[in-house]
Amino acid sequence: MPRTSRFEGHLLIAPLTAFLIALLGFPLVLDVVYSVSRVGFENIRAPELIGFSNYAKAVADPEFWAAAWFSLRFGLIVAVIQMVAGLGLAVFLAPLFAKRPWLIALLMLPMMVAPALVGLMYRLILHEFVGAVPYYLLEWYGDFPAFLGRDWAFTTLVTIETLQWTPFALLILHSSYAAISPDIREAASLDGARGRRLFLNIDLPLMMPALGITFFIRFIDSFRVFDNLYTLVGPGAGGSTTSMSIYIYQAFFKVGDIGLAVAASMLLLVASFVVLWAINRFTARKAPL
Amino acid sequence: MKKPLLGGLRWLVFALAVVILNFPVIATLVTSLKSDAEIMTNASLIIEAPTLDNYVAVFAMADRFDILHFLGNSLVASLIGSVLAIAIAFPAAYAMARLEVGRSWLLPLAVNLRAVPLIIFAIPIYLMYQQVGLLDTRFGLALIFCLVNVPLVLVLFASSIADLPLEIEEAGRVDGAGTLRLLVYVVAPMSLNVVAASSVLAFIYSWNEFLFGLMLTTNNATPVSVGASFFFAASGGGVRWGVAAAVMILATLPPLVLGLLMYRQIGRSMTAGAVKG
Repeated sequence: MPRTSRFEGHLLIAPLTAFLIALLGFPLVLDVVYSVSRVGFENIRAPELIGFSNYAKAVADPEFWAAAWFSLRFGLIVAVIQMVAGLGLAVFLAPLFAKRPWLIALLMLPMMVAPALVGLMYRLILHEFVGAVPYYLLEWYGDFPAFLGRDWAFTTLVTIETLQWTPFALLILHSSYAAISPDIREAASLDGARGRRLFLNIDLPLMMPALGITFFIRFIDSFRVFDNLYTLVGPGAGGSTTSMSIYIYQAFFKVGDIGLAVAASMLLLVASFVVLWAINRFTARKAPL
Repeated sequence: MKKPLLGGLRWLVFALAVVILNFPVIATLVTSLKSDAEIMTNASLIIEAPTLDNYVAVFAMADRFDILHFLGNSLVASLIGSVLAIAIAFPAAYAMARLEVGRSWLLPLAVNLRAVPLIIFAIPIYLMYQQVGLLDTRFGLALIFCLVNVPLVLVLFASSIADLPLEIEEAGRVDGAGTLRLLVYVVAPMSLNVVAASSVLAFIYSWNEFLFGLMLTTNNATPVSVGASFFFAASGGGVRWGVAAAVMILATLPPLVLGLLMYRQIGRSMTAGAVKG
């Protein structure tokens, strides 16, 4: 590559680089500094270094671990259900989509709604007097649970998250299923593979990379859940629905403990690097180019 | 004959999936079309006497809850954020795809950014914004929307530019066009599809963003995703559910309509972004 075009290349990436330094790099430095400082709004420009006591405080806080456990459990459960439901729908409805591709648009709609608004909508839908869900449960079963109470909140939130983002799994898995060459299926069916065997031995192995990607994307998005949780229940009964994101938000805005919130952020960053490392390692993703 | 039965079953499953997955919007839309009195007596999905009163009421209460203000904030910040994301990602994507600059470090960095919970950066960004006066401004919010969208837009551009035929650019070079001219007059016109698809997706993601809208704005620049929840807070215990439902539908309509109209491009971008990211 000639020198001039390398120079031009650097010019072309300069705006993006500058932007990322300003909005990610600089905040990251602040994160690191504040996480080892005693800092409040009064000494925001001159934090006092104190070592790792903020980290110690976060690690010693049972609520921190409860939030980490909530996010992990929530992310894993939601990702698995979405992957399975998306796969089922993608395969079972494939003949419909093949003839009428626009049908899938109706199943993509949930993804267009702000998760925060979905959370608000469920306040209405689950409301004991005016909500449609309690109304029909009462009509059909004669009873309905306290959806947002301690016993049910987790299940309710998993259901809400699953209903909104299964379309994403469906979309990815549909395009991966549709991309399987008819020749392969034809050859397999000449060899006598039919129905379930064809699916298990041919389709499923070919869809493995897409399934892996779907799982990881859904896990990552659900792990950092904030919007719908915040608008529907907040931290919930006794903190029972506090995700990592909610924990950090609360530590900062409600408690005003900048050091703790920032230390928790750094721990979350380390955790996401571990997840990213695992993704890059296990899904052998190809570079985009 | 098994076939027609199976076909019927597929349609049934499809119809059920549409209703169940879209249930929040359907139920909210139904409630928004009921009168206050009907909401209290009839919680079913069947409307006895449809009315637009709730929508009229939303716009009549601008003194306490100004929905046009929130919608305007979302519109302006989302537009600026999306345009900005494209403006900085497009040249960078070209440099990565064609000039081999930044491909080994900037691209992976930006792509992996999508997997990092942005709350990690939220607190320092808040403190930064406080210092430089960007708190509660539409432009400050737009910068965040740009940050949220840059990874996806970059991946989409990088792979689409790599797929363009090299010959046309080479011909342009032979004719003496510099990189900037090539970018503007050759590469950009050939990338209009991707520009359209990614700007729609970026707009929708921006419109639906909540966390930063909540943290970085108080009133002046509050986007509608956050503003809608003000309605609940403002009405205290006695929420007027019909009006609340109308607010939520109005806040949801723009991305919903865009999504319906552009589903093909959006679907393609989402899958490309996922598979190639």
